[in-house]
Amino acid sequence: MACCATEALWQKRLHEAGVSALYLHIPFCVRKCAYCDFSSWATSPHDPLMARYVNALERLLTEVEGVGLLNGCQTAYIGGGTPTFVGASLAQLVRDVRAAAPQVRELSCEANPDSLGDELLERLKDAGCTRLSVGVQSLSDSELAELGRIHSASQAQTRLSAAVAAGFDVSADLMCAIPLQTDGSWMASLAGILACGVGHVSVYPLQIEDETPLGERYGTSEPAFNDPEVQARRMELARERLVQAGFERYEVASYAQAGKDCKHNQAYWTARPYLGLGTGASSMLTREGYVALQSICPQFPELSDGVSRVRLTCIDGRHELPVARSMADLHFDLEFLSEVQAAAEDLMLGMRLVRGPEPGLVDHARKVIGGSAVDGTLVWCKDQGLIRKSGLRWTPTDKGWLLGNVLYGKMWDLAS
Amino acid sequence: MKKDTSHIRNFSIVAHIDHGKSTISDRILELTHTVEERDLESQMLDSMDIERERGITIKSNAVRVDYDADDGNTYQFNLIDTPGHVDFTYEVSRSLAACEGAVLVVDATQGVEAQTVSNALLAMNANLDIVPAINKIDLPSAEPDRVREEIEEDLAIPADDAVCVSGKTGEGIHDLLEAIVYLVSAPSGDENAPTRALILDSYFDEYRGVVATVRVFDGAIKKGSRLQMMATGDVFLCDGVGCKRPLETALPELGVGEVGYVVTGLKDPALVHVGDTLTDAANPCAEALPGYHEAKPMVFAGVFPVDNKEYENLRDALEKLKVNDPSLTWAPETSVALGFGFRVGFLGLLHMEVVKERLEREFGLDLIATSPSVDYHVFTTAGEMLDIKSPQDLPRPEQIDRIEEPYLAAKVIVPPEYMGAVMQLAIEHRGITKDMVYLSEKSVEMHFDIPLAELILDFFDQLKSRTKGYASLDYEVADYRPSELVKLDILLAGEEVDALSFIVHKDKAYPLARGLCDKLKEIIPRQQFEVPIQGAIGNKIISRSTVRAVRKDVLAKCYGGDISRKRKLLEKQKEGKKRMKQIGTVDVPQEAFLAVLKVDDDA
Repeated sequence: MACCATEALWQKRLHEAGVSALYLHIPFCVRKCAYCDFSSWATSPHDPLMARYVNALERLLTEVEGVGLLNGCQTAYIGGGTPTFVGASLAQLVRDVRAAAPQVRELSCEANPDSLGDELLERLKDAGCTRLSVGVQSLSDSELAELGRIHSASQAQTRLSAAVAAGFDVSADLMCAIPLQTDGSWMASLAGILACGVGHVSVYPLQIEDETPLGERYGTSEPAFNDPEVQARRMELARERLVQAGFERYEVASYAQAGKDCKHNQAYWTARPYLGLGTGASSMLTREGYVALQSICPQFPELSDGVSRVRLTCIDGRHELPVARSMADLHFDLEFLSEVQAAAEDLMLGMRLVRGPEPGLVDHARKVIGGSAVDGTLVWCKDQGLIRKSGLRWTPTDKGWLLGNVLYGKMWDLAS
Repeated sequence: MKKDTSHIRNFSIVAHIDHGKSTISDRILELTHTVEERDLESQMLDSMDIERERGITIKSNAVRVDYDADDGNTYQFNLIDTPGHVDFTYEVSRSLAACEGAVLVVDATQGVEAQTVSNALLAMNANLDIVPAINKIDLPSAEPDRVREEIEEDLAIPADDAVCVSGKTGEGIHDLLEAIVYLVSAPSGDENAPTRALILDSYFDEYRGVVATVRVFDGAIKKGSRLQMMATGDVFLCDGVGCKRPLETALPELGVGEVGYVVTGLKDPALVHVGDTLTDAANPCAEALPGYHEAKPMVFAGVFPVDNKEYENLRDALEKLKVNDPSLTWAPETSVALGFGFRVGFLGLLHMEVVKERLEREFGLDLIATSPSVDYHVFTTAGEMLDIKSPQDLPRPEQIDRIEEPYLAAKVIVPPEYMGAVMQLAIEHRGITKDMVYLSEKSVEMHFDIPLAELILDFFDQLKSRTKGYASLDYEVADYRPSELVKLDILLAGEEVDALSFIVHKDKAYPLARGLCDKLKEIIPRQQFEVPIQGAIGNKIISRSTVRAVRKDVLAKCYGGDISRKRKLLEKQKEGKKRMKQIGTVDVPQEAFLAVLKVDDDA
């Protein structure tokens, strides 16, 4: 009976029209980092395009608010690019988010140390920003230079401390397996950000992408600094150090002190619908959410019967977006997922979490995909040492963390 | 009335690669109104997709065009296209035997190059009248005078009559056609003698059975003629004759000197052999045309479907291919590692590649080919002789008295400055140099005996690269000779993988085992566990390498915008894995089974 009850809850959740998370994308930077293949462009701080872009986001925000999509929205995240680069406009945008989505309890802004002055900290605090995610990457000046970062290690530490002192929940991003890095310098970077009093740390290995300066420099040469062994060792060193400092890992790359975990990012991994606005921003909507958005986006095609989830990515560039008067003027890449695909995707994402996918989700997946297929996959993964059963939950093992692609791949295979 | 053959010209066009053989063929078809320009699919004569992509001709093809010459007469030109690779030397020789002349195309910007020399030699050896043509004169860098001198000096071909043409613009093509009329001899032959015709090629037509391309030397062939194939003795009733323009056009007869097709009605392609002589069954000619021998497969390799369920489909596909490629042979083979498949015989490595590619492309199969082997004669202690075409069939060492392997008599023609390089190459491949003859100041003919097994690996490519492409190679099977051969086994994660075994000369076993282990280490992707790779002779491990376990395989960042990308990445990974074969617990990519062909590349 408990199973039927959870299934009913899942059904309700999978058919909510409103989103629980809102993402806004600011595609501007002082300079593009050597590893970055994100949707962002370097420009001058006086570029008038930035203010026009932010104004456009505000218009779009009001419009989606009007169709009720943001009514139950719990978290918001302004990412980039470098949101802090647009300065005072960012604080205004935070206010607008507060007004459009009054239920938001966690509102994060991505920040870079070089554009996070005391004045901006104060403005963001006043506007209602609760959390800052600061791109630090390393606390070694030579490593930072290799990555094409424009701030120094000491600047990063000063700004992290200032943000903590200003009363924000502060997260620092660190990158391992980067040029010049040693185990020692990695440990020093970890110790350095911990000393600043941050409550959240994201660690991830450098991914050398094509069409980035690093990709051009190293191509497919598999440089030693980025060797999978090095990545694995550094990720493990980070785990040891952060756990020792009282942090808890809650996702493959995310560590937090009690209560400081990022609610927004967890929406991505727990099948919660989200809305993204801005160049390159993605949304995930239920069927019902899509239909609601369709009322202001007549360019959307009609849904066919089997679709239970839609993912949309805005493909308008930084020049096109400011001239869009409304959602109806925008262009999207659309991806339609069936109930089976959605369930497989949710299992795949749930396996990124330390606590694994919700038992209710696993039951739901067994229902739509088939019990024997789901159980077969889970048992295979267990036999391979990638997951274990603890109580009602299937949770990833250390091996499962490191060989995530095998584990996630197996889950996604359930879609076909 | 004596049949007039004075208006017939049978010729082929030969050239170094990219010197413009195909464009000139196209222009000839166009200028003689055989094909209208709008219908001209570029390079009409190479019809198979793979031929067109690789720019090589595998099947011979004969097209007839009518040319209204300046002298007021209409001439029948039979343009015979020849295969372009050493695997098909025999087919080339038969095609040339059907011609009286050859147009030798030389690029006006490049001059005489390696294959110009080897093709000119082939044509001269076949006693053909040579019409030199200097192509690409439309290019600003064209140097026709220099090229003319090269033709005279390097090839000893009088080049005063060389025609300057442009396949691209069509300039000079008319002059070329006139030159063919005047320089190529008309065929001679006796229309009243018993029919004698050479089979150049054959293909299978579902409705009409085997259709043979022939050149009539004596007599004539008509629909209803009862014909006999002299080598095999088989008789059939001719169901029609005609020529290709380039579509098939039926004719009342193929007369003396003419080239065309003969519908045999035979349902078994294996009965019709390239090089065989067709004659009148009731009144056979006294002697067959010279030069026939059966195209025998020289190279044998295992061909297995990646998915064992495709076994039946593979057999059907082989049967369908054989219809147009009678040289293909096969027998079922079972491998512990790869399951059910076939040991397929090929004319050579290129033939093997082409067949595998056709099977995969035309029949949608995903295949693994194993290392090529030759046909070994193994004499057992019990006094038996076994034909061993697959390393896994080799008896245990204590049961073997001796092994004999096929040797070739190889002939290499090369400019003298490369003699040393060729001798060195021959020594490395266990070749025995016999003698050499200066053909001219610019070319030497070298003879040596060499094991076929050495030749099939990389000898031809090496020969071409070490002589900058100037060497031409010709060979025939000579005899079987005893050799000290051993079976090299490869173990993956401690398990012997039969499909990776290889028969090799004992002196080469150690370096080869080392090379193979290193190559496999590169090819086999890292798995979740360590994979030791070992080379062994019998129970003795002679080399070792290790594929380290993958410890980390995850893109750690995965937020909203990354999810679709992440899924696509996983799908791509899976697609890659699907093309691999799981052997025990190890995922092995298809190319691993041909790793032996890649070992020498890096040495």
